[in-house]
Amino acid sequence: MTGAFRTTTGGRIDRARPLSFRFDGRAFTGCAGDTLASALLANGVHLAGRSFKYHRPRGILAAGAEEPNALVGIDRGPGRYAPNLRATQVEIHDGLVAESQNRTPSLRFDIAALADFAAPLIPAGFYYKTFMQPAGWWAKLYEPRIRAAAGLGRAPRGADPDRYTQRYAHCETLVVGAGPAGIAAARAAAARGDRVILCDEQAEPGGSLLAETRARIDGLCAQDWLAAALAELAAEPRVTILPRTTAFGYFAQNFVALAERVTDHLAVPDPNLPRERLWQVRAREVVLATGAIERPLVFPENDRPGIMLADSARTYLARYGVKPGCRALVLAAHDDAYGAALDLAAAGMEIALIVDPRPAADGELPRRAMAAGLPVRMSATVVGTRGRLRVHEAHVGTIGADGGVRGVDVVSCDTLLMSGGWTPSVHLHSQARGKLAFRADLQAFVPGATPQACRSVGACAGEFGLQAALGPATRVEDDPVREGGFAGALPHDRPRARAFVDFQNDVTAKDLTLALREGFRSIEHVKRYTTNGMATDQGKTSNINALAIVAAASGRAIPEVGLTSFRQPYTPVTFGAFAGTSRGELFDPVRTTPIHGWAVAQGAIFEDVGQWKRAHHFPRPGEDMHAAVRRECAAVRARAGIFDASTLGKIEVVGRDAAEFLERLYVNSWKKLEPGRCRYGILLNEAGFVIDDGVIGRLAPDRFHVTTTTGGAARVLSMMEDYVQTEWPDLQIWLTSTTEQWAVIAVQGPKAREILAPLTEGIDLSRDAFAHMAVREGRVAGVPARLFRVSFTGELGFEVNVPAGQGRAVWEAIWEQARRHDAVAYGTETMHVLRAEKGYIIVGQETDGTVVPDDLGLGWAIGKGKRDFVGKRSLSRPDIAAPGRKQLVGLLSADPGHVLDEGAQIVAMRDPPPGTPALGHVTSSYWSATLGRSIALALVADGRARHGQTLFAPMPGGAVPVAVTGPVFHDPEGRSLDG
Amino acid sequence: MLLIACPHCGPRDEAEFVCGGQTHIARPGPPETTSDAQWARYLFERDNPKGLHLERWLHRHGCGQWFNVARDTLTHEVKAVYGLLDTRPDVT
Amino acid sequence: MSAPEPLHPLASVARPGRHGPAGSLTPLHIELPAREIVQVLVRRDRSEDLAAALRRDFALALPGPGRAATGGDGVTAIWIQEGGWYLHASRTGEAALAARVAASCAGLATIDDQSHGRTMLRVSGPRAREILSRGCRLDLHPRAFGPGRATTTMLGHIACLVHQTDETPAYELTVYATLAATFLDWLIETAAEDGVEIG
Repeated sequence: MTGAFRTTTGGRIDRARPLSFRFDGRAFTGCAGDTLASALLANGVHLAGRSFKYHRPRGILAAGAEEPNALVGIDRGPGRYAPNLRATQVEIHDGLVAESQNRTPSLRFDIAALADFAAPLIPAGFYYKTFMQPAGWWAKLYEPRIRAAAGLGRAPRGADPDRYTQRYAHCETLVVGAGPAGIAAARAAAARGDRVILCDEQAEPGGSLLAETRARIDGLCAQDWLAAALAELAAEPRVTILPRTTAFGYFAQNFVALAERVTDHLAVPDPNLPRERLWQVRAREVVLATGAIERPLVFPENDRPGIMLADSARTYLARYGVKPGCRALVLAAHDDAYGAALDLAAAGMEIALIVDPRPAADGELPRRAMAAGLPVRMSATVVGTRGRLRVHEAHVGTIGADGGVRGVDVVSCDTLLMSGGWTPSVHLHSQARGKLAFRADLQAFVPGATPQACRSVGACAGEFGLQAALGPATRVEDDPVREGGFAGALPHDRPRARAFVDFQNDVTAKDLTLALREGFRSIEHVKRYTTNGMATDQGKTSNINALAIVAAASGRAIPEVGLTSFRQPYTPVTFGAFAGTSRGELFDPVRTTPIHGWAVAQGAIFEDVGQWKRAHHFPRPGEDMHAAVRRECAAVRARAGIFDASTLGKIEVVGRDAAEFLERLYVNSWKKLEPGRCRYGILLNEAGFVIDDGVIGRLAPDRFHVTTTTGGAARVLSMMEDYVQTEWPDLQIWLTSTTEQWAVIAVQGPKAREILAPLTEGIDLSRDAFAHMAVREGRVAGVPARLFRVSFTGELGFEVNVPAGQGRAVWEAIWEQARRHDAVAYGTETMHVLRAEKGYIIVGQETDGTVVPDDLGLGWAIGKGKRDFVGKRSLSRPDIAAPGRKQLVGLLSADPGHVLDEGAQIVAMRDPPPGTPALGHVTSSYWSATLGRSIALALVADGRARHGQTLFAPMPGGAVPVAVTGPVFHDPEGRSLDG
Repeated sequence: MLLIACPHCGPRDEAEFVCGGQTHIARPGPPETTSDAQWARYLFERDNPKGLHLERWLHRHGCGQWFNVARDTLTHEVKAVYGLLDTRPDVT
Repeated sequence: MSAPEPLHPLASVARPGRHGPAGSLTPLHIELPAREIVQVLVRRDRSEDLAAALRRDFALALPGPGRAATGGDGVTAIWIQEGGWYLHASRTGEAALAARVAASCAGLATIDDQSHGRTMLRVSGPRAREILSRGCRLDLHPRAFGPGRATTTMLGHIACLVHQTDETPAYELTVYATLAATFLDWLIETAAEDGVEIG
């Protein structure tokens, strides 16, 4: 036996396959096919959670995704803890471990339930109003305490060991929801040859058909018809059926996100399978068949365990073979509750009373209920309940003609079933930017026009009944019309009683009217003030009741009040599904140069520069970073070093108008640059600010080799394409990114020429034949090379460009020569120090998007007599031409051993009063092995006029005095450039 | 996630593109006859409409070409795709 | 001094053999063909002359947008942009294809050797389409894509030229060389349910 409340026959569970599971440490037995909720109910357990704010005991309200109360944590082992799952959606398997949430120490006795006794003191907006004063208490007292008490469920600890995948899919028709309307839509689409994806959030497709007990379809009972229809769809290769798959987000151009839960329902999953799969579907047409959610009724003390939605109770019986209790009171504002009463009575449950707030109910199902002898009381309502951990009595009163409630009869019951009618699930339609129309007869919103190829069918469109869902071609028998529905709060005469609207967020009808009294008019404001319809619930059971209460209290019609937004996700989605494979090493692509493997073998320490892995320094045994960088710097200045510069962006600019193009783009002059020569180019944006720089070599009259910064390569190429395609389509030029084609090896230092000479063919390396800022083509180490004579260190320097596939071999050949001269391999840190000693800027370090060439002392680079170039007009804008701009200077701290912090602010006095604006800031700061002291570069207001002044860098340990100098610390005459 | 029909490659996912902002903005010139006010307008002033917006897109992870899109900023409907140098399409 | 042979960007990271589960599923087959790749950008108003030159010298009909074509002597052309193609062929020597194409198209097009800048992986197997669909936003279904179709798109986070070469299906995937290693890592992880076989 799998529970005292399990029926002996019926339902879709397998009584021959008992499964054991634990809930809050206690062992239970359920059946294959059970959800955690149905298995608990079968064991007579209704108490499944504590409410969020008041910690009230709560039971299982519903049977599907709309469940607001029974939120549980599932523990599948280390790193595999999932909080806030609805027990109504968790399938049990052997060994499942579940626990309730929001209670200390136990579900039956929760210390925080004291909050419930204090409830009159905790109205809506309590936190906003109470924790205002004194101001200093917030950070020290209020916030830590509130944070400790806040939050729903607990986050898993440790890294998630599971695998998640993603899948992009395209189809002609995506059908969301595999109930009768969805199956009919999928069959029709398949018949016309569409590729169809049919997804459903439940473990098996079928929707309401899985619990249908009366109707016959094409002469079959609903479950037999369903089996045949699904078999037919499954046999169609163009149809993909996805169970356990929630369509949680609907985006532009029919892009719909689905979360498929692949293994959570399995006791021993295949380790090769992902836990979840995120589907991203682009569909020509989307058919929404998402059904409807039964509406709770808002009456005093309507939240006790044992109080359930009527059709959910019927579903537990029909689908899971579970009786929700022994004796039920049914509060029926919709005919469907009579159907539930009939089914439950037939299964042996006692129906104590059917209470209907309507004056009359003459539909088919009410008539059958009365004919079956079920006691019915019209024009009546429930005005209160009793029972701490389970409802045990209901108080029934009569609604008078004036709307007041008179006379109270006590009815004992262990179950209270309620139905306020049905709310179409329009979440996805609304996310698709579809409009909504209010239907007074349903007391609900139904889908209106949508800008996308999307239609709603069946109950989610407000078309109820099997015949409407399945269409005229299918013959449906015994599917009577069901009417009724109620939205808002039922009348009662107990002003202090609490009638809950949003069970998950503990919002009562009184909270909503309080919000109105306090001046909130917009429903969006009421929602935020009261928290109604927020968080994981998104108002599935509460939205319409809240709207109706607000409408009634403010004297407006429901459509005038409007509707709050339905946000993605429909139900919570794990972060793992969103991340997919993008985690750990694959979080972001990693770019490596052709020389990377060599650097790894040498024990280099790497740094991330954008997506690149760059060798930062090459420590020798026993060296820390500082020691390694000092050694590398000294070696380059004294002898030579080689450096992997392959990450530099490279763009080949070719064509008749190549020089004219660069003339218009860069600040410099290019037309008179001779082939075989190079120039340092500066690129501005139209606002006049430096955005990139690099050496550009002219290989031929119509061919330039442009280099960019490492980070700027893609941006500069896009910008070039932009100007070619938009501003200057008349120019005949062609752009090719060659960043990847070339490996670049910088050989820098007084021995650079001697290192390269034995390897170089076809190029005269002598000082006279190959001047600084020249480019030659020849061979290095046997490989065709473009050889630039350039320097970013201030020393004699060459940059060897060779095809990337031969880069490693050429590097190793150069390294062999370099070692003979006691040269070093150096990394990016040494590169930074050496260039700073020379006052060479780095875009993005000395510049921050607000720096013009003159600020950097680079005004000389601007081509004289150029009429226009990108950004030129901005250089004469008043604020850029005005005095007082920050200019690049050098700083020497008074203590030569003190290395300033990069980013430190610079001020004129030692202890400036608060609010004193800074003169500028430190952009680069290093220990210089060459100078034997610290150096820094800074941008300082009127900096060039301050050479010789002492300024201060205020730091936590006291202001650091600094002397302002020129930005070139080493070899200002440039004698070393020629080696 | 928008679906944008690149004029060269056909409908592609938004992830392949970069949006370049409002289109049909002529670069004023030459500099010596462009007033500070004209230049500031060119640099900084852009429309931010609710509804139809004409904007430039680059198919960066595709064919590398820039083109124009007429898009409704409210519904994300792409009303037209047209060449950079084409005139405004007849859409509202 | 003789030039060293080019080193494939995946030479040190692509371990031949089976990776992932050894189940009944057919793994994704990955090969690393050594190809020379040349980018050809046609000069203004010379499209017909370029097409004629390539037809004459390579028995190759230049394909239109979204397509690829292979000529009589094994050179494949893939449309990459308006007026632009990649031509690729088996490596025969140092920049051999670039030299041949430059000679054929002198004055008609701008030629850039990208043999070292791009890396090609050939993937095939009955599950290839399904596996690529885990990272490819394109519709690869035969209704929308098939042999002879080629286009640049994203696979995972990485831009990739995807060319379907046959019905197996087999695809030639061309990525930036410096991203080839991370791309292979992604491909192996993405195919984890099925496994991959390199070689």
